[in-house]
Amino acid sequence: MSRPDVGRTTWRALRARRRDVGRLCAWSLVESLPALLAGLVVARAVDQGFLAGRFAVGLTWLAGLAVAVLVGALATGRVYRSLGDLVEPFRDELAGLVVHGALHDATGAGGRPDSAPVARLTHHVEIVRDTFGGLVMVVRGFLFTAGAALLGLLALDPTVAALVAAPLLVGLAVFAAALPAMLTHQRAQVRAGEALGRATATALAGHRDVLACGAEQRTVAGVDRRVNDHAAAERTLARMSALRSLSLGLGGWLPVVVLLLAAPWLVRRGLSTGAVLGALVYVTTSLQPALHALVQGLGGGGLRYAVTLERILRTCRPPSHSGSAARPTPEPAGDCPAVRVANLTFRYGPRARPILADFSMELPEGEHLAVVGPSGTGKSTLAALVAGLVQPEHGTVHLAGRPVAAVAPADRAALRVLVPQEAYVFSGSLADNLRYLSPDADGPAIETALAVLGAAPLARRLGGLAAPVDPATLSAGERQLIAAVRAYLAPAPLVILDEATCHLDPTLEATVEWAFARRPGTLVVIAHRISSAVRARRVLVFDEDGPMVGGHQELLSRSPAYRDLVGHWDGVPAASPGHVDADRTAAGVRSGHG
Amino acid sequence: MRTLAGEDRLLLRVVRDGGGWTAMLVVVALAGAAAELALPAVLGLAVDAAVGGDASPRWPVVACILVVTLLVTDVLGDLASGYGAARATARLRRRLLRHLFALDVRTVRRYPVGDLVGRLAGQAADAGQAGTAVALGGIAVLPPLGSVGALLLLEPVLGLTLLTGLAVLTVLMATFVTDASAAVTGYQRVLGTIAGRLQEALGGSRTIAAAGTTDAECARVLAPLPQLRGHGRLGWRLLARANARVAAVAPLLQVAVVAVGGYALTVGWLTPGQLVAAVQYAALGAGLGAVLATLNRLVRSRAAARRIAEPLSAKARPDGVEPLRPGVGHLRLRGVGVRADDDRPILAAIDLDIPAGSTVAVVGRSGAGKSALAAVAGRLYDPDTGEVLLDGVPLTRLDPAAMRRAVGHAFDRPVLVGETVHDAIGLGLPERSARPPSTGAPATAAVLAAARAAQVDGVVSRLPDGFRTPTVAAPLSGGEAQRIGLARALHAERLLILDDAMSSLDTATEHRIAQTLTSPQAGRTRLVVTHRVATAAAADLVAWLDDGRLRALAPHRRLWADPDYRAVFGGDGVLR
Repeated sequence: MSRPDVGRTTWRALRARRRDVGRLCAWSLVESLPALLAGLVVARAVDQGFLAGRFAVGLTWLAGLAVAVLVGALATGRVYRSLGDLVEPFRDELAGLVVHGALHDATGAGGRPDSAPVARLTHHVEIVRDTFGGLVMVVRGFLFTAGAALLGLLALDPTVAALVAAPLLVGLAVFAAALPAMLTHQRAQVRAGEALGRATATALAGHRDVLACGAEQRTVAGVDRRVNDHAAAERTLARMSALRSLSLGLGGWLPVVVLLLAAPWLVRRGLSTGAVLGALVYVTTSLQPALHALVQGLGGGGLRYAVTLERILRTCRPPSHSGSAARPTPEPAGDCPAVRVANLTFRYGPRARPILADFSMELPEGEHLAVVGPSGTGKSTLAALVAGLVQPEHGTVHLAGRPVAAVAPADRAALRVLVPQEAYVFSGSLADNLRYLSPDADGPAIETALAVLGAAPLARRLGGLAAPVDPATLSAGERQLIAAVRAYLAPAPLVILDEATCHLDPTLEATVEWAFARRPGTLVVIAHRISSAVRARRVLVFDEDGPMVGGHQELLSRSPAYRDLVGHWDGVPAASPGHVDADRTAAGVRSGHG
Repeated sequence: MRTLAGEDRLLLRVVRDGGGWTAMLVVVALAGAAAELALPAVLGLAVDAAVGGDASPRWPVVACILVVTLLVTDVLGDLASGYGAARATARLRRRLLRHLFALDVRTVRRYPVGDLVGRLAGQAADAGQAGTAVALGGIAVLPPLGSVGALLLLEPVLGLTLLTGLAVLTVLMATFVTDASAAVTGYQRVLGTIAGRLQEALGGSRTIAAAGTTDAECARVLAPLPQLRGHGRLGWRLLARANARVAAVAPLLQVAVVAVGGYALTVGWLTPGQLVAAVQYAALGAGLGAVLATLNRLVRSRAAARRIAEPLSAKARPDGVEPLRPGVGHLRLRGVGVRADDDRPILAAIDLDIPAGSTVAVVGRSGAGKSALAAVAGRLYDPDTGEVLLDGVPLTRLDPAAMRRAVGHAFDRPVLVGETVHDAIGLGLPERSARPPSTGAPATAAVLAAARAAQVDGVVSRLPDGFRTPTVAAPLSGGEAQRIGLARALHAERLLILDDAMSSLDTATEHRIAQTLTSPQAGRTRLVVTHRVATAAAADLVAWLDDGRLRALAPHRRLWADPDYRAVFGGDGVLR
């Protein structure tokens, strides 16, 4: 499947820029002028000039060749420029493909961000860019140079041309026959290299852990296997490289041998001394180098091109828009709860135990709910399900009466805003960052939001709304504060804070949560500290036995799990200080990273 | 000076590791060079014979033999260099890998992981080429140099013509190198900007997914593309100029040789065949620059060898052979001192006697030396001064396998090593218990018990493929990973060291785990580094570290009266 993909993509890239390809070919034609003339000129110069004792005549012929060389060199420059016109847009296309693929992957259902796409962009796309240029150069170089040289040979003597062309074709055939195998082995070698890199990285990242477990031998043996695999792949490549040398020898040197063996016979048939010299010039100065460039270029960069492009194409399929998103949804009738979750079931895999099983819940407009529970019990999953980012196995989620699954992703933003733990701040102005979800928010509205959420000092420190923000220089808490202001400004009636304030200090966290609680609409807080639960009107507690909803006091009496959580927050054994407040103890609730 | 010797010794060893392949490479490369050098002269003789009407096939046949020799030596040379490099590289990698795992944690920690992976995966391959580089680097210059000599012999003017041309070529190439670097820098900068934006957007993928702004983000990330294209085009233009020059000079050089040779032909200094030979030699000689460039390989091999020789020269930890003495985990530190790389003291003269079977909490401010204490107690590395004894035997004298069975170590941020979650939990167990059972049961008894004790069996059962979920694909939070790290350490028979290993757990879970760990039947000593008051209070004793010194070893309630002690947990009682 992948091989044709590479071929088709390359072909499409070339066809899309037919005009640039045409220009490239035209200049290549000019560039091959010396290759066309070299042998003929040497033959004439020797026969009519040097051997005839007329040095000036020979020199004149050579001067003509020198002019052709200069014209050809001029054309070489033009060829490279045209190549740039061909390669740069292709690179743009691939960069677009990688970025689209990466972002659609990471933001799709169950998508998990990883940094591989960045390497793909900076490394793989650049390899393809370089090797694509090289590939075009050697293939076109061979076609035009070899064509010109054979044409020149034909003009010199048709028999000689035939004697040279035959072994050349044999060499090319051997190479072409071996090319698919070379590609396979190159691919295997790249894979073996990556497997080795991964195995090494895991083993060394866990060096301390391996030592602590006394598992050195086992770990080293595991990596050893990858080392051996890689060595085997290298040996196979060496065999392929030998095959390449063989085809190069056949195609490049056999013509010389044939020519030499036939020379006495050719001379007897009337071939001039100059023509013999000219033929040898054609073979050794045009054909041999062109074939060499082709075989080494295809066998080296060409294979790398195919393998790398294949990887890019495989990992970055163009986004397929699923049909489920665009269905028009019926307008909800009258009074609908802000959130209605019915019979929700979700699990990571078909054989895994469900994280949520047949879970139902209803939140009226204006509700303020806190979700608490030990880590790994599915709090963040619930947030993602309610927001429509993850599809449940069973069950439905309705936001303000509309089934969230049927709303297009871009339109869901009008229904709810989800603020995850890892706040997104991008390089741009502070205003751009804050207007992300509400492009029309005006200055006063932003100023108010900043003030209400206690972010005004941060905005001042950053240099105001117009100042550029460099996310790398912000602390995790500062990033969370910016994300909170952005969410506050969003038009959506439902706000879901998924541990979105875990890096803020307790006072600021309280300010932010109270501000959201007073904001018109509904608030769901995936709690990170017990204080969030105390502030909320209702609490949803996750437990081994399943989720349970109620008020703080109610849950204290009804849910052992809740009591357990709160109890260990508050009731540290007797020796500890009496003035323990909720926030301190809750520092222990750092319930993982969702 | 010593590292210099180290890398050259390593290179020599790599060349030897290539073994027979390197020797074979030298032989075939020499034969190939000789054939290459002889061929133009023989070609000339054959041409002269042909045009002179000499029908004897002697010279054409000799030429054929030379061509076949060239072909065979090329093929064998490829095999020999590839096989030799593969062998030398694999050996080098295995040696480095073994050595890294024979070093202690402190030594290896000095290198970032990515850096070591680069050395082992990338630079080992470069260094492994040493055999090829030495053999070919020396031999590859022979044909071009010989050609210049042959031309000088054939006709001194021809030789001089070639040398002049080569000088011009070198100058032209040198000017290109300086020109191009500016364009490349600009290109890399813009590419870096795009990559940075992509990285940012990937980090904010949940926000972007929720906002439904994926396409807008794509556009934002790709916005600098036109700039990139601009820098790229500039690069191509510079390349065009350089290549146009080379494209002019190299063939003009040959035309010049033909012209000078033509004059020699006219006046009868040369035969037509010798002109053929001259053109061939000129072409060979023109390749001198390219051949010199292959010497880069040797330079690269040497640079790579230096990077590998560096960790290889670090001293492996000494291991003992003594068995454990009877006991249940009496841990004793005698005058233990640890210094940082910059010689700052981390632990100073620590004397600590931990009764067998007790739980000791290690507390102190950040940087007080808690983790260093845990590390030397579990022999992740040896202290610079003093010694650590387990049931009366210094750890350095213990048989390593026996010591690892006796001591378990869990961390704040464990790295899960192993293909599956099952392997990761079983890392400290014998191989037979560590591998997932072939019977179809979810886990071996030992792994299942460890997972239960660490309260992580529920988490694992919710993973896509249970215990057999690949470690890299397991969506684990920090707290969940910590519990797997705990499960991994529970095999310890005498001493369990928890280095802040429950910091990401909610207090309820921590409490439940602590109950299992401290149950009397567990019967082993526990050393628990913690920031939490509750954990310190629950321990039998608290070892209070202050600036690398042991300030007190006493029960929590006795220490609590001291405001300094309370301050360790934060002035207002807020942990951390």
